[in-house]
Amino acid sequence: MSELLTGRQLGLLVCTRCRATVRANPVGRSRCPRCRAPLHARKPASLATTAALLVTAALLYIPANVLPVMHTHQLFSDEDDTIMSGVISLAQQGSWPIALLVFFASIVVPLLKLVALGEIVIASSRRSVRNAQQRSRLYRVIEFVGRWSMIDVFAVSLLVALVQIQSLAEIEVRPGALAFAAVVVLTMIAARSFDERLLWDAEQRG
Amino acid sequence: MSSVIVCHACDLAHRIEQIAPNSRVRCVRCRAELYRTGTASIDTAIAVALSGLVLFVLANVYPLVAFEVNGTTRVATLIGAAQGLYSQGYAAIAALVLFTAVLVPLTQILAFLYVLVALRAKRRAPGAHALFRAIAALRPWAMTEVFMLGALVSLVKLAAEAEVAPRISLLAYGLLMLALAALTGMTPTEQFWQWVERGRHVRSGE
Repeated sequence: MSELLTGRQLGLLVCTRCRATVRANPVGRSRCPRCRAPLHARKPASLATTAALLVTAALLYIPANVLPVMHTHQLFSDEDDTIMSGVISLAQQGSWPIALLVFFASIVVPLLKLVALGEIVIASSRRSVRNAQQRSRLYRVIEFVGRWSMIDVFAVSLLVALVQIQSLAEIEVRPGALAFAAVVVLTMIAARSFDERLLWDAEQRG
Repeated sequence: MSSVIVCHACDLAHRIEQIAPNSRVRCVRCRAELYRTGTASIDTAIAVALSGLVLFVLANVYPLVAFEVNGTTRVATLIGAAQGLYSQGYAAIAALVLFTAVLVPLTQILAFLYVLVALRAKRRAPGAHALFRAIAALRPWAMTEVFMLGALVSLVKLAAEAEVAPRISLLAYGLLMLALAALTGMTPTEQFWQWVERGRHVRSGE
């Protein structure tokens, strides 16, 4: 056992909202004296909530990538676009930086979140002591990059608003966009409902 | 006067001698930021929030982007981006776009203005605690910078087929993004609560 002491050992809690350090109240529920948010030693049902959201997001990841996200109607052509075909047409257009950006934000980031958060949840439920440092670094990357997947949703929304010239050119939303937006939102909530401290809790018992 | 600060990310307890202005302290174990304080005054934060409010109005009143095909010009506004999705039956995505690109940034600016002006006037601000908790909870859902990139992607996609041009609102929105980033940067949690607690001492001393 190291000489390092944790809040739990000292009977101290940290408020998840304002990060004030507070003496734990042994009886019943308590609120943060500084910002009055409810206090918990650990986020309640953190692992179960994160796991449930992740499984839902993983299922929706399939229609999000297989189904078209938008439909382009022009005078002599009709075209369905999935996330991936959108990336490919950007690349064919020669806009390589933008194509790479969308590829990362829309395909790599959601997949990374699903796999990495899944690994983190499994490791925490097994109370794995090793690699807490790496996992917490990975978790922070996930929390940081998660929102950038919304790029495609915003791009589609502007395209739909702009290209509405009856019979000449029209862009419509397709169900894939709904599944994709759901994946982004669910994985963001999943990341936030995970309690990072669970990665370190096992270390104290070593 | 020393105090104990528990790391919100790994629960390790740290003894802190004194919270100095303009400092950034990280957890010795997991490297999470324990706290950060700045040098900005409440006045500066209020000024930035006010400019943010003006920019927000500009960004919403004028068109963001224009699209021209066969002599017909169409423009899209910020609200229009959500409206198009809504009219095509995708209310959930429309709500998500409206929430992350419009409502959350506006709520953040207004909530900061209310709380900071009350602090500056050394007055009690009813509901300030709830507002602060809302600001903290909404932070990851303010997506102005992601929306900017989404707009860029939509412009690049259309540039291959038609004349597209950014309009004045896109500039205003870009500046709003910077104002929000500055506001968030100069009101780190610990700094914010130091202002609040200083206000409390002043009031109770009278």
